[in-house]
Amino acid sequence: MASSRPRLRGLSAPPLFILLAGVGAAFFVLPLAGLLVRTPWGSAWQLLTSTEAITALRLSLLASLSATAIAIVFGVPLAWIFARLAFPGRNILRALTVLPMVLPPVVGGVALLAAFGRRGLLGGWLEQAVGIHLPFTTAGAILAETFVAMPFLVITVEAGLRGMDLRFEDAARTLGARRWTVLWRVTLPLVRPSLVAGAVLCWARALGEFGATITFAGNFPGRTQTMPLAVYLALETNPEAAIVLSLVLLAVSLVVLIGLHDRWLGAS
Amino acid sequence: MSLEAQIQANISGFELDLWLTVASGELVAVLGPNGAGKTSVLRVLAGLTPLDSGRVRLDGVVLEDPAAGVRVVPERRPISMVFQDYLLFPHLSVLENVAFGLRSRRTPRAVALEVAHLWLERVGLQAYANRKPRSLSGGQAQRVALARALATRPALLLMDEPMAALDASTRVELRRELRHQLESFDGVRLVVTHDPVEAMAMADRLVILEHGRMLQIGSPAEVAQRPRSRYVADLVGVNLYRGRAHDKVIALNGGGSLTVAEGADGDVFAVVHPRTVALYRTRPDGTPRNVWEGRASNLDPQGDRVRVRLEGSPSIVAEVTPAAVRDLGLDRGDPVWISVKATEVVVYAA
Repeated sequence: MASSRPRLRGLSAPPLFILLAGVGAAFFVLPLAGLLVRTPWGSAWQLLTSTEAITALRLSLLASLSATAIAIVFGVPLAWIFARLAFPGRNILRALTVLPMVLPPVVGGVALLAAFGRRGLLGGWLEQAVGIHLPFTTAGAILAETFVAMPFLVITVEAGLRGMDLRFEDAARTLGARRWTVLWRVTLPLVRPSLVAGAVLCWARALGEFGATITFAGNFPGRTQTMPLAVYLALETNPEAAIVLSLVLLAVSLVVLIGLHDRWLGAS
Repeated sequence: MSLEAQIQANISGFELDLWLTVASGELVAVLGPNGAGKTSVLRVLAGLTPLDSGRVRLDGVVLEDPAAGVRVVPERRPISMVFQDYLLFPHLSVLENVAFGLRSRRTPRAVALEVAHLWLERVGLQAYANRKPRSLSGGQAQRVALARALATRPALLLMDEPMAALDASTRVELRRELRHQLESFDGVRLVVTHDPVEAMAMADRLVILEHGRMLQIGSPAEVAQRPRSRYVADLVGVNLYRGRAHDKVIALNGGGSLTVAEGADGDVFAVVHPRTVALYRTRPDGTPRNVWEGRASNLDPQGDRVRVRLEGSPSIVAEVTPAAVRDLGLDRGDPVWISVKATEVVVYAA
C-alpha cells in the first residue's frame, strides 16, 4: 500500500504537465543516447590510447587539478570574508567574483589577456620583472581554468559558512581555541560537505573549460590543448575520435555528479 | 575565589544592566522569562559579547573594564561555558570533544586524551569515548558537555539552560545527577534557567532577571517568600500587590486597600497566599478586616484544589477545595464575597 501511494499521487498531475516533463527529459537523454549510438566501439580503445588523446587527457587532469588546488587556497579565504566580514563594497566585490559564472568564457579569456597578456595590466611587468610568461603556456591554461571555475567553489563554501551555527566557534573559543585553531579544528571541518562539493564542482568546471582557455592559452598540443580543445579540433579531422573523447568527459562528469549527489547533497 | 561583575551592555538595542557577585563554591541561578537577557549575561562573562561599561573581575583579576581599556579575549579567560544545546563538535569523537580544551591550550595530545578519559570516567561515559556525539542521548550529551567544560579546570563555570534540551521524563533524575556532578566542582558556578523548579532545586542563590535588569537577588526561600516582581509572584503562585502603607492600611496601586496587622510606612509590597483567601456567598460577619465583593472570572482545578481568579478591587486569586466551590455554587461570572485576615498579609518594603 505504502509503495503505491507516490505513484497514485503522480498520476493526479495534469497529463499535459507530465507530457511536458517527458519532452524535457528526452531533451537531455537524446544527445547522450546519440553519443553512445555513434560511438565506434570497435576502434574506441585504439582512439583513446592514441598519443594525442593521452596527452590531452594528462594535460586536462593536470590543469584542472592545479586549478582546483589554487581555487581552494585562495577561494576558501575569499568565501570566509564574504560570509563573515561586513565591509564597504563587499557586494560589488562578490558580484565581480562570481561574474565568470555568467560571463561568456571567451570574454573571460579576452579579459585575462588584457590583464596578463604581454601588453596587459600586469603581464608586461610579470614578464620583464619576474620572467613569467602566462599567455599560451600551460600555466596560462591553468590560470584560465581557475578564473572560470573558482566562483563555483567560492559561492558553495560561502553558503556553507553562512549556514553554519556560529556558536560552535564560540564554544571552541571558550575552550581556549585561538583563531587558527578554531578555523582548522572547528570551522573548516564543519563546512567540509560544502568544501568537498565546491571543490568537485570547481574541478568539473575546470575540466570542461574551453572558451577562456583557447582564447588566453591557445591550442597547443601537450602545452595548452586540454580535452575539450582536443574534442573540438578532432571534430574537423576525425569525428570518431571526437565522439570517444566526448564520451570520456561525459563519463567523468556523470560519475562526479552521481557521487556528489549521493554523498554530499543528502539524496537517498 | 569569586566573581564580581558589573554589566552594562547594549546588545543590538537590548539593554543589559546588572550587578552580580558570586562566591567560590556557590551556585547562583539566573532566573527569568524568555528574552530577559539571561544568555546575554553568560556571553558577556565569557567574553563573547563585549561590555559597554562596567567591570568583570574573577578571583581578583580584571577580565574586562572598558574604561581602563582592559578586555581579555574569550580564549584567554579561565571560564568554561556549557551551551543550551551543548554544541558538541559533531565531527569529533566524544573523547576528542572532551580533550578539545586541553589540546587548544597546547597540552600534548597524549596527555590531553588521558585527562579526557578520566573525565569521561567521572561522568560514567568512558564506554562512549569513540562514539560521535550524534549517537548520544540528551542526558549523555549534557554530561559530555560538562566534562568538556570542566576538563580545562576553569575558575568559573557557566551553564545555559542545562535542562532545556532534555525530555521531561528524564529531567528529575538528570537534575539530581547534574547537581551531584556540580558539587565536585569548587569554582564559581553560574546557571541560567527559565525553569523555577530547576533554579530552586539547584541554586544557593537566585538572581531574578527581567528585561535585562536584576529585580531581586536572594536565597530561593527568600525569593519565594518575598517576591519583588509579578514574574516571581506568578511562579510561586501568590498574590503580589504594591502600594503605599500608612500605619495599618495599604492603599494599593491597582485600586483597593488592604488592612494589615502591623503598621508600616512608605512604598511596600504585600503578599497574600491564595490559601488564606476565604470566599462567602453573602457578606461575612466577624473579625476579618479585609472584606470586599468580587466576581469569579476563572476557575482552574489543580489537583485537590481549585484556583479561583476573582475580579474586584483588588483582584485576587483564591485557592479553595472543590467541595467549597460546590457549597458556594460558584461558577464563572458569579459574584462572591472575599475576605482576608489582616494577619495573613505579609508586608515588606519595596
